[in-house]
Amino acid sequence: MISLQGLSKTYDTPAGAFLALRNIDLQIDAGDFVAIVGRSGSGKSTLLNMVGGIDHPSSGSLTVGGAAIQSLTHNQLALWRGRTVGFIFQFFQLLPTLTVAENVMLPMDFCGTRPARERHPRAMELLERVALADQANKLPSALSGGQQQRVAIARALANDPPIILADEPTGNLDTESSVAMFALFAELAAEGKTLLVVTHDREAAQSVSRTVTIVDGCVA
Amino acid sequence: MIAPRWRKALRDLSERPLRTALAVGAMAAGVFGVGMILTSWSILTRELKTTYSDTRPASAILVLDGSDVSDALVDAVRHMPGVRDAEARPVIGGRLRVGPDQWVPLTLFVVHDFRDVRLDRFTADAGANAPAKDEVLIERSSLSVARSAIGDRVIVRTSDGNERALRIAGTVHAAGLAPGWMEHGVTGFVSARSVLRTGARAESAQLRILVAGDRLDERHIREVASRVSDSLAASGRKVTRVEVPTPGRHPHAAQMDTFLLLLGTFGALTFALSAVLVANMIHALLTEQVRQAGVMKTLGASTRQIAALYLGQVLLLALAALAIGIPLGLMAGRAYAAFCASMLNATIRDATPPFWIFASEAAAGILIPLLVALGPVVHASRISIHEAFSNDAGRRPFGTRAFDRWLARRAWLSRPLMLSLRATFHRRGRLVLTVATLAVGGGAFIAALNVSAAWTRTLAADAAARRFDVQAVFPRPYPIGDVARALGSVPDVVHAEYWTEAGASMANPAVVGEPRVSLTGPPLDSKLLVLPLIAGRWLKPGDRDVAVINQSVASRDPSLRVGGDIPLRVNGTVVRWRIVGLVKELAPHAAVYAPSQTILRATGQSPDRTRSARIVTRRHDVAGQVAASKAIERALESSGIDVSGIQALSDARKSFSDHLVIIKSALMFAALLVVLVGGLGLTTTLTLNVFERTREIGILSAIGATPRTIAGDVLFEGLVIAGLSWVAAVLVAIPITFALDAATGQMFIQSPLDFFLSPAAVAAWLLLVLVLAALSSFIPARRSARLAVREALAYE
Repeated sequence: MISLQGLSKTYDTPAGAFLALRNIDLQIDAGDFVAIVGRSGSGKSTLLNMVGGIDHPSSGSLTVGGAAIQSLTHNQLALWRGRTVGFIFQFFQLLPTLTVAENVMLPMDFCGTRPARERHPRAMELLERVALADQANKLPSALSGGQQQRVAIARALANDPPIILADEPTGNLDTESSVAMFALFAELAAEGKTLLVVTHDREAAQSVSRTVTIVDGCVA
Repeated sequence: MIAPRWRKALRDLSERPLRTALAVGAMAAGVFGVGMILTSWSILTRELKTTYSDTRPASAILVLDGSDVSDALVDAVRHMPGVRDAEARPVIGGRLRVGPDQWVPLTLFVVHDFRDVRLDRFTADAGANAPAKDEVLIERSSLSVARSAIGDRVIVRTSDGNERALRIAGTVHAAGLAPGWMEHGVTGFVSARSVLRTGARAESAQLRILVAGDRLDERHIREVASRVSDSLAASGRKVTRVEVPTPGRHPHAAQMDTFLLLLGTFGALTFALSAVLVANMIHALLTEQVRQAGVMKTLGASTRQIAALYLGQVLLLALAALAIGIPLGLMAGRAYAAFCASMLNATIRDATPPFWIFASEAAAGILIPLLVALGPVVHASRISIHEAFSNDAGRRPFGTRAFDRWLARRAWLSRPLMLSLRATFHRRGRLVLTVATLAVGGGAFIAALNVSAAWTRTLAADAAARRFDVQAVFPRPYPIGDVARALGSVPDVVHAEYWTEAGASMANPAVVGEPRVSLTGPPLDSKLLVLPLIAGRWLKPGDRDVAVINQSVASRDPSLRVGGDIPLRVNGTVVRWRIVGLVKELAPHAAVYAPSQTILRATGQSPDRTRSARIVTRRHDVAGQVAASKAIERALESSGIDVSGIQALSDARKSFSDHLVIIKSALMFAALLVVLVGGLGLTTTLTLNVFERTREIGILSAIGATPRTIAGDVLFEGLVIAGLSWVAAVLVAIPITFALDAATGQMFIQSPLDFFLSPAAVAAWLLLVLVLAALSSFIPARRSARLAVREALAYE
């Protein structure tokens, strides 16, 4: 499903070139539930960003779901991302002026994945799944952190993408919410989705099928 | 059902009502300013043109020898080739009494048939339509000068010394005449049977003609006029003078041109100002949206979708701004046009601006915001997700530029102040836009006041050049001894001079129509006239056959140079005098100054007689000059000397400054408009600057800054921006002032004004920006400082 070969990433900073990822080789199969762990600054998030097409590798090759994403144009990449990848962030990143349901409908709107009249029922179905259907018409600011992150998951699933990428999804949540979150991820993996989760949460990471540890930009 | 992204676009605007209101306000101010100027400009240019052409202005005025022009003669002239129409309109000169020993100049036109006025038409305004033989109709703009009302009896003294009481039967509106209040004279109309006409020594027989063919071609008009003169001469009537008013030009066309130029210039500046303002505003709005743009990209939004989203928002704001700005601009523009029309003695009959005004307002009001938004929108929509999520999205980190490092070493500032300064200079793009907005606004404001001050100074300099207090003019030459004896009996009179005066015309064949000039010969040692020199020198003892010309003469014949000769036709003979100097005078009349002996020789006048006296009085203030004028009037009258005019210099000065009212009003109006738009600009940008710093303010609060320190810092930042913009505004004002001094001076007095940077204007703008900056940064800063730390840090 995801294949990285000899992938490196260098950043130019005022203090000189910084090698964030060195020569990474990694294969992830469909349905894998992978935890990416490592210290702060080890390159975990950079790796996730590469896979999601948020950032470009400096060298090496990267294939995700059969697409060589380096060769996609800006707009092709956006559409590909919307349909193939669902993102979940540490700070939820819900759009503050849209209601919960509207946030979930937004990816369908952008990618035109469903006829307009099916989008709201689909959003409600996803919110039902994360047990937030009753909050559908509220603005994100009215929700707790755990609830907001569940909305983010519903939004990530909106276009039914085969891959879910989560960057420290439990970093801002209490233990109970974190456990529930990982349970939900496990369910998704069981349904055949490929999940990559960057996390510090060793306990929660117990439920994954595979752990990749990154140390100083290399797979340990 | 509206798609979620469009709902986001709408809700982003409605969630921040203050910010949205500021953005709409800034755009509306631009639309308002431009709309107001375009509206008044278009109404005025159209209405002034039609009001003037509707009077059927005469192409030429033939001044005939002898008394009245008979109907038969007028009829004969009407049938001459090249003549479209003709009308006899004799003119009676005199004065009208406004108080004991106080008179104002009076010009009365004799109208043969009030029901059939063919040329230089006027319309009934109030009261009677035609005067009886002991009545007069007064031009409405000079009723106030006559200090009378309809129904009053006024004392009129014609230039032959006859005094009569006339009843004001009504007022008329003569749009072709300069307004009386501006000229400080009264214009009236009397019938052919008027009591004033008995004897008719004060009357000049005048025949007005309208040419057939090209009415705007001065050469053609002169040809026709000279053919008419020739045939009148053949039938025994001598034409002593032919006057050809500049075809198609209202007597105050120069005022209008100057005024319209100013209006146009400031319209363009307001437009530029509002464009920069809108750019700044949109830049600010989008900076906040960068992270959200990044989020939307992770959800699959394409660059185009994001760009459309934000351009859609801008379009909404622009439409709201149009809805507010267009009607307000229309209202204000109409009001201003009406005011200006009254200044020029015109009436606005149709206050509907042409459709293209609305079309261009709408086009500009929509296109400009979209165009200036394009840059920031493209930036926000093309930014990579990675950049969008990084903390200082899209900015170079502080410290990567030499200036930042220099600023970082300034350790003498307190740390929070330093933070403000660095914050200011870090957002360089915004800083440049903010300073540019204020520089354009401030530059226009300062320039408007500079030009206004330059006019005031020109007026003061011209007044200072004439060091006498009262000027008396006589209808005929009187022995200087008699006049001097009469004046000597007035205790208020300190000194009097009797200058030689005559008329002449410019005799260069290349100059169309031999324009008339006045010849003035002050004593060579006179201290009463010290005109500012543009080139060469003033007259000096020992001079013979030399002349000093004013800039108005020079502008009529561009071949005239100091060192060259000026050919003048004096009493039918051409004389040539060497030009030794060129002087600047405020009054636009063409004047040649020459040694008194030189003029006397050319004209054959007697050196012992005079037609005028320039008098220095004991007191030089307005009241002193007026009191002396009355005493002089009495003294001359009791000595049997007829007076055709006595003018206190303060009155002459007032008349000239009244001519500048419209120009100054345009400048003040421009300054106010710019303050409005610029002030709004400053307020919005600074307020948005603070909004943008909300997160930073949260961090500061988190590490212990008190709301007071934070507000102080933000205030300091606002003041730094205001200070910077002030310096830029002064720099911007300089070229604008130069250009407007040159253009308005050239139009109005045929000479550029002296550049003047008004300290008051510069100080006023500094005060204004500092106060506005303080208000518009302090209030939002206090709000931000009161936000809970958590809220501030979460602020998106």
